[in-house]
Amino acid sequence: MVTGPAAEMSENSYSIRPAFQRRFKTAIVKGKINKVLKEELSNKLYNPEEVPYMTRKIAEAIKTQVKECAFERYKLVVQVVIGEQRGEGVKMAARCFWDADTDNFAQDVYMNDSLFCVAAAFGCYYY
Amino acid sequence: MKSSKTKTKEDTWKSDELLKHIKAAQGDCTDDSGKKSRERKKHKDEESIGTSDSRERRHKGRERDKEREQDKDRVRHKDKERDGDRNKEREHEKVRTKKNDERDRDRERKQERDSERLKGRDRDKERIQKWDKDLEYSADPRVRDKEWDPYAERPKKRGHESERHREKERDRKKERDKLQEKGTEKDENVDQRPKHRQKKDKENLELEMDDKYERKERKHRERKEKEGRSTENNEENKEKKRRSSEFRDEDYDRQYKEPKESGPHDGHREKRQKERKELGQKAVVEEMDRKHRVRKDKEYKEDGKKQRYKDIRDSVVEWRDRERVHKDREKRDWERREDRERKQKLKIKKEKEEKERQGDYTEEQSVKRKKERRSVQETTNESRRKGSTIEQIDSQKKPTESLAEELVEGEEIAMESQSTIESSNYDDDFEDYEDDFEEDECKDEEVELEKEEIPAHQRAEIEAIQKAIAAENEQIRETHTRSHRKIFEEEPKRDFENSQTRGPARGTFIDFVAAKQREISFKVASKQKKRSVELLRLIDLDFSVSFSMLDLPPLNEYDVYIKNFGRTNTKQAFVQCNEDNVDRDIQTDEIETVEKWTQHPGEGNAVCGGANASDALSSDLVAKNIDSQRLTNFLKSACQVISVLLEEDQAENQASKNVQSKAASLSVSDGCSQLNTNLPFLHGREVQCLHFSQAQRQTLLSVHSLPKEPGAAQLASNYMICVWNIWEPSVPQKVLVCESEVQCCCFGPDNVSLFAGTVDGSVVAWDLREHSVMHYTLQIGSQEWTLRTPTFSTDGVLTSVNHCCAVKAVYPVSSACFENHGVGLSLFSSQEGRSGLSFQLASFDESGLLNLWVVVELQKANLAGSLTDLGLIPGGKIKLIHSSSIEVNSFFPRNLMQLGPPQTLSIRFLPSDPNHFFIGTDIGLVSHGTRHGLQASPKLYKPQINSAGPVRVTCIDFCHFGKTLFLVGCSDGTIRLHSVTTERPIIQWNESTQGRPIQAVLWALTRPGMFFILDDSSHIYVWDLLQNVSKPVAEDSLQPDRITAIAILGDPEKPSASSGLMLAKQSGAIEIQYLMKQWSEPHLNELETLHYILQKTA
Repeated sequence: MVTGPAAEMSENSYSIRPAFQRRFKTAIVKGKINKVLKEELSNKLYNPEEVPYMTRKIAEAIKTQVKECAFERYKLVVQVVIGEQRGEGVKMAARCFWDADTDNFAQDVYMNDSLFCVAAAFGCYYY
Repeated sequence: MKSSKTKTKEDTWKSDELLKHIKAAQGDCTDDSGKKSRERKKHKDEESIGTSDSRERRHKGRERDKEREQDKDRVRHKDKERDGDRNKEREHEKVRTKKNDERDRDRERKQERDSERLKGRDRDKERIQKWDKDLEYSADPRVRDKEWDPYAERPKKRGHESERHREKERDRKKERDKLQEKGTEKDENVDQRPKHRQKKDKENLELEMDDKYERKERKHRERKEKEGRSTENNEENKEKKRRSSEFRDEDYDRQYKEPKESGPHDGHREKRQKERKELGQKAVVEEMDRKHRVRKDKEYKEDGKKQRYKDIRDSVVEWRDRERVHKDREKRDWERREDRERKQKLKIKKEKEEKERQGDYTEEQSVKRKKERRSVQETTNESRRKGSTIEQIDSQKKPTESLAEELVEGEEIAMESQSTIESSNYDDDFEDYEDDFEEDECKDEEVELEKEEIPAHQRAEIEAIQKAIAAENEQIRETHTRSHRKIFEEEPKRDFENSQTRGPARGTFIDFVAAKQREISFKVASKQKKRSVELLRLIDLDFSVSFSMLDLPPLNEYDVYIKNFGRTNTKQAFVQCNEDNVDRDIQTDEIETVEKWTQHPGEGNAVCGGANASDALSSDLVAKNIDSQRLTNFLKSACQVISVLLEEDQAENQASKNVQSKAASLSVSDGCSQLNTNLPFLHGREVQCLHFSQAQRQTLLSVHSLPKEPGAAQLASNYMICVWNIWEPSVPQKVLVCESEVQCCCFGPDNVSLFAGTVDGSVVAWDLREHSVMHYTLQIGSQEWTLRTPTFSTDGVLTSVNHCCAVKAVYPVSSACFENHGVGLSLFSSQEGRSGLSFQLASFDESGLLNLWVVVELQKANLAGSLTDLGLIPGGKIKLIHSSSIEVNSFFPRNLMQLGPPQTLSIRFLPSDPNHFFIGTDIGLVSHGTRHGLQASPKLYKPQINSAGPVRVTCIDFCHFGKTLFLVGCSDGTIRLHSVTTERPIIQWNESTQGRPIQAVLWALTRPGMFFILDDSSHIYVWDLLQNVSKPVAEDSLQPDRITAIAILGDPEKPSASSGLMLAKQSGAIEIQYLMKQWSEPHLNELETLHYILQKTA
C-alpha cells in the first residue's frame, strides 16, 4: 500500500533485465551440474529404492551449487530424473513458457552402464 | 422475536456480523468486565432468589382456581411451550414456514420493543457474556471427563448432552444477531408477566430455550386456532418416525417400568441412563409426539402435580442459597470447571429424571387424564416456568411432576444423595429450577472468567462457529434423524476441537497474528497482481523451443547381446600394442654414383671421362678420334643412298609404269625413265636448260621457264630451278625461284651452291645448305615445298662492274687449276674447290665481257641482314665479290674488228687449264684467250674453208679425255673437230644434218670417240668415230615433242656406271635415255685408236 510519491517513484523502477554479470549462465551451471552428478553418481548402480532419495539429494545439491553462483533475483527450478539403463530408448524434452531474454536453463546428462541421470536447472528471473 | 424469525439462517450466520457483535461485546466487556459481571451475577442471584421467593409466595398464596384464572392467558404459553418442546427439532426445518405465521405477532410487539430498547441493550451484554460462558462450558467436556471418571458411562451421555448444548449454542448464535429485538421482547414479556420474568432472565442465559419457547408458543396459538389440523401438519413429516418411536417407546416404557417397580437405586439408574443413551434423542422425539397426542390428558393430570411442585420449589430455593454460598467460595479457578461439570451433570440427571418421569407419565397416562382435567391452567402456568429449563426436560417433567410426585421424589432423593457424594455440589438432580439456576450462576461465573480471555476465545469461537455453520447448513437439508445422527457423530470431535483450540489459545495471540498475516498476504497479493499487470506490459513471454534433454536410442539386439553376454567369461589381462617394435623398410635399390665429365666441343682426344674408368676410356678416346667432316660426308651420302634405295623399292613396287614402260625412244638407248615434273608449280613450264653437277654426276638441275598460261599459279612470274637426284625421280631435291629469266645455270664446285645468270645481266647465287626456315614454304596438297630465293644477287649492286646485257654463261673456275698443269687437273681442282669453297666464278655476257667473281662464304650469318652487302639475303652466307673483268673483244684480230666487234655467243674454259677460254662468235670463228692477257698460240680457230661468213658458232664442247679436242657446232649445220693446237679443224662435216643448225654437241663421258649432235629439229645424231668417221652411226628423231635441252649422264671415271641422255622436252617433261652397253662401255685402247684414225684422216 505504497502511497504518494513513493508509489509514483516505484512506478517504473522495475528491473526488467538482470545485470549481465548476474545473468543465468548456462555454461557455468552446466559445469556445476556436471560436477554434482559426477560426485553423486560415479560408480553407482541403479537401485530403485535408493533412487528417489538420490534424486532429491542431487536436486538439492545442484540448487545449492547454483545458488552459489549468485544469479540475482533468479528463481531456480531443478529437475532430476534418474532412470535405469536397460537398453530402452528414452527421450526427454522440456518446453518453457518464459521470457527468453532473461530466463534460461542448463542441463547435463550423466550415464553409466547401470543408470542415466538427467539434471536440468531452470532459472526464471523474478522481475 | 420478529427478527429471529424473519431473518433466515443464512442471514443470521454471517460470520462478519458475528465478528462485529463479538467485537462490540468485547469492547463493552473489557471496559468493566469484572465489576459488571459480578454485579450482574449478584443481581441475578438476587433476582433468581427473588423470583423463586415470589414464585413460592405466589404458589403458596395462589389457589388452584385462581391460578387457573390468572394464568388463563398463560395456558396458551404453556401449551406452546409443551408443543414447542415437541416441535423443537422440527423447528430447525420449519423456521421459514413459521416465520410467516409469527410475523403477525412480531408486528404487535414492535411498538413495545421500541420503548424498552435501552433495557434490552444492557441485557444484550449480559446475554453475550452468558453465551460465551455457555460456549466455554460446552467446550470443556474433556476436563469434565477427567474429573468425572467414576461415571464411566458419561461420555455417551455427554454426547447426548453436548448435542443439546450445541443446539442451544446454535440457537443462541441465531439470537445473538437479534439480541436487541429479543431483549426488548423479553423485557416486554417480563413486564407483562413479572412471575415469568425471572425465569426469562434465566432463559436468556439459555437463549435457545427462549427462542424455542417463543416460537412454540406462537405455534401453539396458531395450532389451537387451527385445532388438530396444525398438529397434523406438523406431524406429517414425522409419522413414520412416530410409528417407529412408538414401538421403541413401548420397549422404553417396559424398561422403565421394571426399574420403578423394583425401586430406584444407583445401579438401576445407571442402567437406565445407558438405555436412555442408546435411545438418544429419538426417544425424546417420540415422547414429544406422544405428548402431543395426549396433550389434553396431560393438562388435566398436571393439576394434581401442583402442590408438590411448590414443595419442590422451596427446596430449590434453599438449595440455591446454599449453592450461592458455595459458588462464592469456589468462584474462580478450578471451581469454575467444577461448576460447569456440575451443571452438566445436573442436566444429565435432569434428563434422566425427565425420562423416568416420562416413563411414569406414560404409565399413568390414563389415570392422569381423568384426574387432572380441571387443573389445566395451573399446570400450564407452572409448566411454563419449567419451560425455561431445557425444553425436553420441561415437557417431560410437567406430567411426571404432576402425576407421579411421590415416585419421582424418591428417585430424586436417591439421585441427589449420590450426586452429593460424588461432587458435593448437587443436591437435587431432578430439580429443574435448580438446574436452571445453577446453570445461570455457573454461566455468570464463567462470563467473568472469560472476559479476560475474550480476544483469544473469539478467534477460536469464530472458527468453531464457522464449522458449526457449515454443519448446520448440511443438517438443515436433512431429516431429523440424519441430523441427529450427525450431531452424535460430530459431538466428540467438536468437543475435542473446542478444547484443543481453546486450551493452548489462552493468553496467546497466534490466531490473531494469523489473521493479520492473512490480511498482509492479501495486501501483498494485490500488490503483486498490480505489479505483474504492469510488468506484463513490458515483458514478452514466449514459448521457448523445446529443448531436447535426453535422446537415448534403444539398443539393437546385437548390442544387447554384446552387453549381456559379450563380456562374460572374458577378462582383459593385458594389452599388446608393440609400440617399441619399429621396423622400417625401403624397397628401392641403392643409388650408385659415378663421377663423369664431358666437354663440348671436344678438345683433343678426351672428350669425356670418369673417375675410375678414365684410363680405359682414354684409350678409347684416342681411337675415337673422328673426322667429323668425313662423317658428315658419309652421312650425307648414306642418307642419299638410303633414300634412293627406298625410292627404287617403291618404284619397283609400283611397276614403274611411267618410267620403265616407256620404250626406249632412241636407237642407242635400251631404257628410259622420267623425272616427275608433273608438279603443280612446274606445270606448263618449258625446260630451258639441263645441267649435271660435276662433283656428283647424278645431281641434275633443270631450269623451267615461265608458264605458258601466265597467272595460273602463284609463282607464275618466277623462273624455277629444280635440283634433282636422278635416282629419285619422283620429287626434286630443291626448288629455287628467280625473279628474272635465267639464261644459264651451273653448280658450284662443292655442289652446295648454285649460280645462274639472268637475262638482265645479274648473277645470282643460291646456297643449298640454307635451312628451309629462311625461305618461303608453299603448301601444296600434303607436301610442303620450300621455295628458295637467291642467297645473293648482283642485281642492282656492283653496277660498275656488273653485266650490262644478258649473261650467256656462268662457269665456276677452280683456283686450284692454276697450279696443276697437265691432265687430271680438273680432278684435283674439283677436290680442292670442295675443301675451300673459295673459288672463282666466271660470267660472260653477250657483249663479250667476262667477269670473274670470287665466291666467299661468310663465317657467320647475319639474320638481320647486312648493311654492306645489299644483295645478300638476311641470314645468307654466300656472297660474290667481283674479282676481274676481261674484255674478250680485245683478243680478236684487227681485220675482224673492221666489220664491227663480233657477237660472242658462248664461252668454254679449257678443262685442263681454266686460264684458257674459247669463245664462239657469230662469224664462224672461235677465239682463244687467256685470263692473264697472254697471247695463246692460235688466236683463232677457223673453218677449213677460210671464209668469214656469218656463221654462228652455237656450241663448243671439249672432249673429256686427255686429248685436247673440241667440237664446234655451227648454225649452218657444219661440225668441226678441232685440236687446241691447230688453227684449222681436223675434220669438218658439212652436210651431216642437211644444213640444219646444230643446237648442241655433246661428247660422251665414257667413250672418247663418241659424241651426240642435236639439231634444232630435234634430231639426235650419234657419232662413233671409231666405227665411222664420215657420218653418224645412228640418227633418231623425237618429232612429236621438240627437245629443248639435252644433257649427258655418265661418269668418265666409272665407265661401267650407267650413262644416258637427259632430254628435256618442250612439254616440260624430262626423261633419261639409258644408253646401251655397246655405246656406253669404252673400247680397249679406244683413245689411241681415235688418235690413229684422226691422224690417218687428217
